[in-house]
Parts: sequence; C-alpha cells; structure tokens
Amino acid sequence: MRQEIASVTANTELMPQVHLMWLESPQIASIAQPGHFVMVRCGEGLEYQLRRPFSIHQVDKTKVKLALLFTVVGKGTHWLSQCRVGDNIDLLGPLGNGYSIHPGSQNLLLVAGGIGIAPLVFLAQQALSQGQSVTLLLGTSTATQLYPEHLLPSEVKLIIATEDGTAGKKGLITDLLPDFTGWADQIFACGPTSMYQTIVAQNQQKSKPVQISLEVRMGCGLGVCYGCTVKTKSGLRQVCKDGPIFDLGDILWGELDL
Amino acid sequence: MNLSIQLAPKNKQGLSLTNPVMTASGTFGYGTEYSHMFDIQKLGAMVCKGTSLEPREGNPQPRLAETACGLLNSIGLQNIGVEALIKEKAPIWAGWRLPVIVNIVGETIDDYARLAGELDGVAGIGGIEVNIGCPNIKAGGAEFGAKPGSAAEVTAAVKAATSLPVLVKLTPNTSDIAEVAMAVAEAKADAISLINTLKGIAIDIARRRPLLGSITGGLSGPAIKPVALYMVYEVAGAVELPIIGCGGIATASDALEFIMAGASAIQVGTANLTNPRAPLDVLEGIEQFMGKEGIEDIAELIGAARG
Ligand SMILES: Cc1cc2nc3c(=O)[nH]c(=O)nc-3n(C[C@H](O)[C@H](O)[C@H](O)COP(=O)(O)OP(=O)(O)OC[C@H]3O[C@@H](n4cnc5c(N)ncnc54)[C@H](O)[C@@H]3O)c2cc1C
Ligand SMILES: Cc1cc2nc3c(=O)[nH]c(=O)nc-3n(C[C@H](O)[C@H](O)[C@H](O)COP(=O)(O)O)c2cc1C
Ligand code: FES
Repeated sequence: MRQEIASVTANTELMPQVHLMWLESPQIASIAQPGHFVMVRCGEGLEYQLRRPFSIHQVDKTKVKLALLFTVVGKGTHWLSQCRVGDNIDLLGPLGNGYSIHPGSQNLLLVAGGIGIAPLVFLAQQALSQGQSVTLLLGTSTATQLYPEHLLPSEVKLIIATEDGTAGKKGLITDLLPDFTGWADQIFACGPTSMYQTIVAQNQQKSKPVQISLEVRMGCGLGVCYGCTVKTKSGLRQVCKDGPIFDLGDILWGELDL
Repeated sequence: MNLSIQLAPKNKQGLSLTNPVMTASGTFGYGTEYSHMFDIQKLGAMVCKGTSLEPREGNPQPRLAETACGLLNSIGLQNIGVEALIKEKAPIWAGWRLPVIVNIVGETIDDYARLAGELDGVAGIGGIEVNIGCPNIKAGGAEFGAKPGSAAEVTAAVKAATSLPVLVKLTPNTSDIAEVAMAVAEAKADAISLINTLKGIAIDIARRRPLLGSITGGLSGPAIKPVALYMVYEVAGAVELPIIGCGGIATASDALEFIMAGASAIQVGTANLTNPRAPLDVLEGIEQFMGKEGIEDIAELIGAARG
C-alpha cells in the first residue's frame, strides 16, 4: 500500500454522468491487481472527512498509469469530475484483496450491473492475457449507459441487457445469467446489492463459485477504523482489508442492510 | 527547542512524551497499520483502539456518515479484546520508542477494573486511557462520564487496579464538564483527555430513515473543534492535572489553539482518515511555529491564551 500524489492525464465523460479518469500513478499501478481499489482524497481544506473508494478500472501496459471509472452521485464524485489534466490527486492504494482466478479455471463469466463494469475490465484483460476465455454480461438501465464496446478487449464475448430494452435483451442482466452458468468455471460479479441478492435467490453459487465486490461505506480503507465491518459465515470481516472481494455464499445477506 | 512533556507527574512510572502530538483512539488502529507509511515513532504517543474484556462485534452497517465538516460514526467499539491485544499487539509495541496508551471500555465498573488489572505490568504498554463515554449497563445505558459520581467511581476503580499512568477521557455529552473533570481529578486520575464524540444523528431523506444502522452516532472532525476547545478551556481552569485536547484537530494551528487554551498535549483523530500523515504534519507545524516565534520550550505555550 502506497500514498501517491497522482497527476490526472485524462478525464472524460464517457457516458452521461460517468467519467473515465487516467492518472499517472506508477507506484500504485505497478503493483495493482484486478479487484483492488484506491482511496481518493477529494477536495481541499477541511470539508471532506473521508476519502472515497474506487475500484481500479484499468492499468496501462507500461504500468505507469491507472484508470478510474466513476458515476457522479454526490459531492466527492462531482469534485473528481471537475478535475483537469495536470491536477494532482492524493491516492492510497492498491487496497483490498482482489479477485482470484482459481488454477484450472478456463471459462470466466463476468457479470456487470451498471457502474459495476469498473473493476471487471481489468479482470478481463488479465484473464485474456493468461489465455482464459471471458464472457461479459453487461446490464444497464438504458443504452446510453453502456460501456463502449471498442474500449473492451476484442476477445471478450459481450452480452448486453438494458432495463428499457434500448439495446440488447430487455430486462435485468441477471435474467440472462442462468444461460451462461453451465459454460463458466467461475463467475465474477460487480453491481448493486440487489443484483447480488438476485444471484443468491437464483442459487447460482450452488453450481459455480461466484466472487463479488462488496460496497460499504469506508473510513480509512486500511483496516484501522472498523467502519466497513460485515458479518460473514466465517465471522466478522473488514471489507477494506479482507474484501472487497468475497465469495457470494459467505455473506450473511439477511444481516446486511446497506 | 524543547517539546517534551510529562503527562503523569504524580505517577511513579510517569508518562513522558518527546512531543505533545498523539493519535486519538479508534482512528489509528494499533499503529502497526501506519508504521510502514511514515516514521510514527516521531510522534509523542499513540492511543490504540478502545479495548474491552471480550472481543466486541460492533454495530450494524452503515457505521459512518459524513456531515458538514464532520463525521458521524457508530462503530460500536468493535475490537479484538484485551487478551489478543496483550498477546499480539503489546509485544510489537515493546520494541517502539513512543509510549503506547491503551484505551479501555467497559459496561460495568468491574469491567474497567479488570481491564486495568490485566494491562498492569504488560511490556509495551505505557499507560491507560479510560473511555468513560460508554453506556453504563447498570445505570440503564447513560454514559459513565455523564455524571461526576459515576465518572469518579470508574476512575477510582481503575487507579486501584493498576500502577500505570491513568488518563481519563471525558465525554462532552454531559451538562457540566468541569464538574466531571473535578470529580475525576479528586479520584486521582493522572491526566484528563477530552473530548470524545458528541452524540448526533443523520437521516437519509430518500429512504426516510436514519442513515446509521444504530440510529445515533458520535460526531467528530472540524465541526466539533470550537466545542472541544471550549471544554478544554473550561477544564483547564477547573483542575490542576495535565490535559490532553482532542476534537477536530487537523492542522498545527488547530493544535496550538488547544495548547494555548491549556492542553499539555493533543490528539489527532478523524483527520488521520483523509491524511494518515496528519499527526506528523501537526508536529512539524508546531516546531515551525515555535522556531518562527522564538519559543524555546513548549511549556511557554501551554495555557498562553488564558491570560
Ligand atoms: C470497494 C469499493 C469500490 C468502488 N468502486 C467504484 C467505482 O469503481 N466506480 C464508482 O462510480 N463507484 C465506486 N464505488 C462507490 C463510490 O465509492 C461512491 O459512489 C462514492 O464514494 C460517492 O462519493 P460522493 O462524495 O460522490 O457521494 P456522497 O453521497 O456525497 O458521499 C457521502 C459519503 O458516503 C459514501 N458513499 C456514498 N455512496 C457510496 C457507495 N455506493 N459505496 C460506498 N460508499 C459510498 C462516500 O464515500 C462518502 O463517505 C466503490 C465503493 C467501494 C466500497
Ligand atoms: C471511527 C472512530 C472510532 C473511534 N473509536 C474510539 C474508541 O474506540 N475509543 C475512544 O475513546 N474514542 C474513540 N473515538 C473518538 C476519538 O478518539 C476522538 O475523541 C473524537 O473523534 C474527537 O476527535 P477528532 O475530531 O479529532 O476525531 C473514535 C472516533 C472515530 C471517528
Ligand atoms: S474502512 Fe476502516 S477498517 Fe475498513
């Protein structure tokens, strides 16, 4: 884990309210793994009491730069969206445990709900570079919220669903999941809690191992403050340190009211 | 330039710090998490997470809510318990130069006494900070520190159980902080630290319910600084003991305000979350200020604004 002052090299609105930001951050980028996140210090002065957590979306080939993909939902993300090329941003990272591809897994099924695509692009890149096959199920509310296909590695098999039917299959991405579970050796999901709960209800985790990235409010990101603790079948876990990636079946969903 | 201070002049062991900058309980873990980021041993002292007899699970999610210049937390004192602390953390601290102070929390007076007893004589532990902002189970859940009587009882029980220097950490959730401070001093506390968090609440208007899982939380950060400073000023006028100021300190000038109000030392809490180097920045800023103002000894600044 490093603290690094990273300079913004690009910040563009990729989809409405969704920004792709590239940062020069060699210390963090060089050791980042898919599923890791960074704690970003937003704003200046004393207004912000907490850093904001964001998944590492991508790392460039030279491992000098890393990208974040974020939706503007509040004041911190608004501040980030206004940052310009050359601005410096204070990062802590890489943090968390990261996804783990089991030895022998060949077919990887990635399931993204909305902004949940963020950590999965990095995972897809790594898996493809290791010779594994990747199918990405991408679901959003509407076509304009879809992550641009040309930014995905061309070897990824992409399946789309939108809630309003403006692209791909009409409905939720989880509606399509049962069709692909048989093919997959492992499933990796990132999206809203409701998506995970649907996957639990479908009982997918019974047939194939499912890893998810859990979102809770974080204080330190380093295992210090106990702000992020959740109950799992194996006891209390700190999402920032023991997660954010968990086996879907480990989370006690009944006890988690986010 | 002399920044050193003695926080427990009446205690046999004493509690001597090379400088007045400490970390506040619950915001710096056990120190080990930060020790590879910067040289934490440059600091005056570290206070670890509040520790109970048995491990505690803490409160339901969400446990954190940012407010205007403040932070509400309802961690619920999740911790590893005193046994694990003695076994796993104290041996690491024993190799450190800076004193480590263990913050203790209990639900009964007997809990506090037993905790103090267990920590007595453990290598690596330089003192005890008694968090009397915990709900007193026997008294129906009011904080021990809300009343002078129960605050003094806890203090006396801890003092009787240990020879370690004892800091008593006051809660602002009381009607007369000076009275509580006097009762604690009477019960032979070695020093007083203040303040703990102020009770607060935040509501999620979209869901029409409290934002925190346990409904109420404790407010910290810059939002509480003027309140904390006032309480330090009050208490410094009421007791002779060394005072450790805490509450919204993020910069050296914040720290200097507390020192000039009468604090001998200060603690940096919430600021660590955005800036893990905050305590070091505060220390360097104090040194710069003293250099610029030609001050040789930090003692010259303690209470300097009291006239
Ligand atoms: C491990 C992890 C990875 C994440 N990765 C991404 C990502 O890649 N892209 C992305 O757009 N978002 C991501 N999020 C969510 C992101 O952290 C929040 O959207 C962001 O903190 C909102 O900040 P704000 O100041 O704009 O919102 P505000 O509502 O003003 O924030 C107030 C407080 O609530 C916290 N908060 C608000 N929403 C969330 C949330 N959904 N999860 C956790 N904390 C929240 C903030 O951190 C802040 O402390 C991730 C969250 C976690 C825990
Ligand atoms: C996340 C968090 C956890 C805390 N845990 C404890 C604790 O275990 N024991 C304690 O005495 N105070 C605890 N506190 C209170 C702080 O030590 C400090 O008294 C308070 O936050 C005010 O200082 P600040 O504004 O600098 O944070 C905690 C505060 C925060 C924000
Ligand atoms: S965010 Fe502080 S322990 Fe996880």
